[in-house]
Amino acid sequence: MAQDAIVAEELTYWYGDLVAVDHISFNVAQGEILGFLGPNGAGKTTTINMLTGQLKPKEGRAILLGMDVAKNVEKVQGEIGVCFEETNLYERMSAIENLKLFARLFGIHPFDAGDLLRRVGLAGREKDRVETYSKGMKQRLMVARSLVSRPRVLFLDEPTVGLDPTSSEAIRNIILEERERGATVLLTTHDMMEADKLSHRVAFINQGKIVALDTPHSLKQQYGKRALKAKVATESGELQDREVILDTPETPNAVHELFTQENVVTIHSEEATLEDIFISITGRSLIE
Amino acid sequence: MNLGVIKALVAKDFSLFFRNRFYTLITVLGIVFYLIIYFVMPSSVDEELKIGLYAPVIPPVFELIQAEEGLKFEIFDSDEALKEAITDRAYEAGVALPADIMEKFASGQKPRITLYFSADAPDEIKDAVETMVRELAYLQTGQTLAIEVSAEILGRDMLGEQIPIRDRLRLLLAIMLIMFEMMGLASLISEEVEQGTIRALLVTPMSVHDLFAAKLIMGVSLAFTQGVLFLAIVGGLNNQPLIILTALLLGSVMFTGTGFLIASLSKDMMTSMGWGISALLIYSIPAFGIVFPGTITDWAKAIPSYYLADTIHQASNFSAGWGDTWLNLLILLGFNLIIVWGGIMALRRKFQ
Repeated sequence: MAQDAIVAEELTYWYGDLVAVDHISFNVAQGEILGFLGPNGAGKTTTINMLTGQLKPKEGRAILLGMDVAKNVEKVQGEIGVCFEETNLYERMSAIENLKLFARLFGIHPFDAGDLLRRVGLAGREKDRVETYSKGMKQRLMVARSLVSRPRVLFLDEPTVGLDPTSSEAIRNIILEERERGATVLLTTHDMMEADKLSHRVAFINQGKIVALDTPHSLKQQYGKRALKAKVATESGELQDREVILDTPETPNAVHELFTQENVVTIHSEEATLEDIFISITGRSLIE
Repeated sequence: MNLGVIKALVAKDFSLFFRNRFYTLITVLGIVFYLIIYFVMPSSVDEELKIGLYAPVIPPVFELIQAEEGLKFEIFDSDEALKEAITDRAYEAGVALPADIMEKFASGQKPRITLYFSADAPDEIKDAVETMVRELAYLQTGQTLAIEVSAEILGRDMLGEQIPIRDRLRLLLAIMLIMFEMMGLASLISEEVEQGTIRALLVTPMSVHDLFAAKLIMGVSLAFTQGVLFLAIVGGLNNQPLIILTALLLGSVMFTGTGFLIASLSKDMMTSMGWGISALLIYSIPAFGIVFPGTITDWAKAIPSYYLADTIHQASNFSAGWGDTWLNLLILLGFNLIIVWGGIMALRRKFQ
């Protein structure tokens, strides 16, 4: 069995009286994409900071690629790529200069910045100062910077937040390419569709604790309800809504009755979203 | 430490520094500006004679001195105060009259008058003061040899080697020039913290030691180069260049450490400038004391830059050797260790 790329054991961190991360444990297999979902202040970024060696856990430990992060910070950081939520590029430098600087910090020589910039769609603007870039271009450059060292573990903190659909799609494609390459990805996002589409598993974090962790499909089966939504026409011609809950012993009869006794105009199936499931588990919305 | 990483960080910092128009302006134009100030200052000395007088009893004819043109005369309460003022070069010459001068004149005895001269008072002034005192004694008694005169040099004897004001000023200009680089460095660091680029650096295999080494190298080389360039052009390295270069290097380290402290307190370029100017004013005080002798006292020794200013002043203007300056350099090194350590600790805290 392949070794887990990320192991969090009872990770805990507090700021004064506020417990930001409260004894959370999880693991991420090599090559897996784990979606890390939670509202602002839930403890996602603090967890990432502990996993990437930016913060030392107050309790518990983080293990990356078999190494205790707190004891091997520089070694661990040589194997990871981090894309931060806030843009933090050297704005008075060009895209090429930004990437080359980080390549040197990772000790990569020779380094082809052009190839990476082509992948993120910045070819042609690579010599312009970053301060002249749009938000989407900067975010794509942030992702490119996190890939400079061809990391084995990639931490992406809200990589598509506030971006136009084209930039978001470009970044999603890069994440999938990295998965194909074999990289492990820990992805935090508010975009449920994105998490659903990209992640092998998702973890819901709320008030510093993981409240659910499974594949999107299993979570939907476990917590969501599948249903048929129909619009039927009455004798007076009025349209009314009908709902048939799926996966119950009564479902076959209910479906039969719908079609034999009602005048069905439209019908479609409906699945619970991860957002619905998060709300049903925590009573909170992911976007607050 | 990883030399490749440090080299990359230093190159990045220099690149960012000179891409900021303001930093470039203060670096390039700063040296031009201070050179202009230096060269427009008078290269000759002011010949107005300033004399201090300690006289428990003032003979009537001595009051005539006040009316003399080109003569500035100040009364001191004690012989010690007069000597201290002359040692500090607040006055070039002083006259101390004995308490029993009038009795001795009356009894036909010769009172002993002591003349004090500052180290850099020229012979002309010494002769003029002695002649004046003898003339006054003659006017008072009507006798040509009415007094005995003894002369005493206070401080280092600069016989015939007065220092023009601009040569005193060059030290102040050099220190201010270097300190502007300190503000630039502080601003650059606080900008890195505020923009979050420091976080991006800290998740690479680079160690925090590499980061501080790079910042230290960048700050010291900028400050040191500016200082050396300026002093070389204005002739400040003609005497004891090794001592002056050592002092400048230690001073550059001190200002870089101060830059770290300022960066830890600052949120942006404006707050860096605010704190930087406060530090600049404090650090300039000892150099002001050299430009305007007598304006500061021993408390200035509590300011770390005193040991930089005094060393460079002593070495460049009085050719002081290692034997005269080693203690200053040692104290400066001690201050450096404290300031740089404090700066690194404060910044580390801020980074976290």
